[in-house]
Amino acid sequence: MNIVTDWFVEIYKSFYRAIVPDRRYLAYLNGVKVTLLISFFAILLGIAIGIIVAVVKVTAKESRMKWLMGICDLYITVIRGTPLMVQLLIIYNLIFTSRNTSEIAVGAICFGINSGAYVAEIIRAGIDSIDKGQMEAGRSLGLNYIQTMRLIIMPQAIKNILPALGNEFITLIKETSVASVIAVTEVTKAAQYIGSRTYDVLPPLIIAAACYLIMVVGLSKLLGKIERRMARSDRN
Amino acid sequence: MIVIENLKKTFGDHLVLNGINETIKKGEKVVVIGPSGSGKSTFLRCLNLLEVPDEGTIWFEGNNITDKKTDINIIRRKMGMVFQQFNLFPHLSVMENITLAPIKLGIMTKEEARQKAFELLARIGLSDKADAYPNQLSGGQKQRIAIIRALAMNPDVMLFDEPTSALDPEMVGEVLDLMMQLANEGMTMVVVTHEMRFAKKVATRVLFMDEGRIVEQNTPDELFENPTHPRLKEFLSKIL
Repeated sequence: MNIVTDWFVEIYKSFYRAIVPDRRYLAYLNGVKVTLLISFFAILLGIAIGIIVAVVKVTAKESRMKWLMGICDLYITVIRGTPLMVQLLIIYNLIFTSRNTSEIAVGAICFGINSGAYVAEIIRAGIDSIDKGQMEAGRSLGLNYIQTMRLIIMPQAIKNILPALGNEFITLIKETSVASVIAVTEVTKAAQYIGSRTYDVLPPLIIAAACYLIMVVGLSKLLGKIERRMARSDRN
Repeated sequence: MIVIENLKKTFGDHLVLNGINETIKKGEKVVVIGPSGSGKSTFLRCLNLLEVPDEGTIWFEGNNITDKKTDINIIRRKMGMVFQQFNLFPHLSVMENITLAPIKLGIMTKEEARQKAFELLARIGLSDKADAYPNQLSGGQKQRIAIIRALAMNPDVMLFDEPTSALDPEMVGEVLDLMMQLANEGMTMVVVTHEMRFAKKVATRVLFMDEGRIVEQNTPDELFENPTHPRLKEFLSKIL
């Protein structure tokens, strides 16, 4: 009996050491903040890039802008064909060489560029899933191509791809842990740092894992809500 | 109103339209019939450039719409189109379906567009469906909404691409009734259809297409009673 009790006391102490002294909980909170900031701006950038690339790919298929399509294909191939960490290091070392760039901004841009490639493919699939007649109906009413895309095709496409997009965003939040390699103090880095101070690496990492879990579950809930709202027109 | 000169269109190796010359005058109700694959749908879709012809010229109200410099979006406002598959926008309510284009194109204010939509809905007896979504409607209701969606733009001509082919038989009547009303009000109409009763009743002229050409045309009475072209005789013997 005593052994079990001692064990629980020991665990409690390690977690206490990992959280309370030197206000270490603030480090986690800061880490969460940085993770959320990077994720948020990366998602925005990813969506923007994704929409542009997807629309260019769909449009270029039937027009003369073959070279634009080539650029988009190259972008998607390179991003999807190389590891995220390598991309991060390259962008950090090669492009943002000046010392006073914000690592958070670099992280957000890099993850955004990375995410954009995946989002583009998801959105393109979403656009392709919409019946051709929708575009024709929009155009026949006198709306131009961009208006039809924006008002008719995209809203339907996004509804169809919301689950896939959600997955992408969840992956993105978790992948931001890689940002520690460019000295961004997000949750994972904060946990490692605290672990190195307490000589007990496990509890901080478990706390970090819990932080990710909470963020991801929160995002899933949010996406579920949006999905239900968008399903309004599906009721029979 | 619409003048078509030497219209040609190929899909791959397949010659779909093989030199069509035709003039459609204001107020005419032209019905296009023909076996499947004869190019009648493609012909109709060329009129508002949903299909871009390979060769030939189309004039609409004095504008050469096949000219690259013509803004086809402006032209299309005056050409309503009704599709076989209705193509209502499923993510928008009936009201939004009808008012979207007039509002977004700045032709009407939101209030004017809603007013117009209510009038049109009342006319087809579907006022209570204004806030419904398309998948809550029957096929016949969808197609009638699609027709008034086109009418909301105050078009000068209405193009119908097999408007009743995707409908359950008992719903064909309500759609044809609405089309007949339009015809009686003097709307210029070009209708691709298999509904020969409609052609007989409404058409001022019937065009028979085969292998990408208009091989015979006449008033409905003459065309159905005294067909001359062997292909037309064969076609009519199969369907009548």
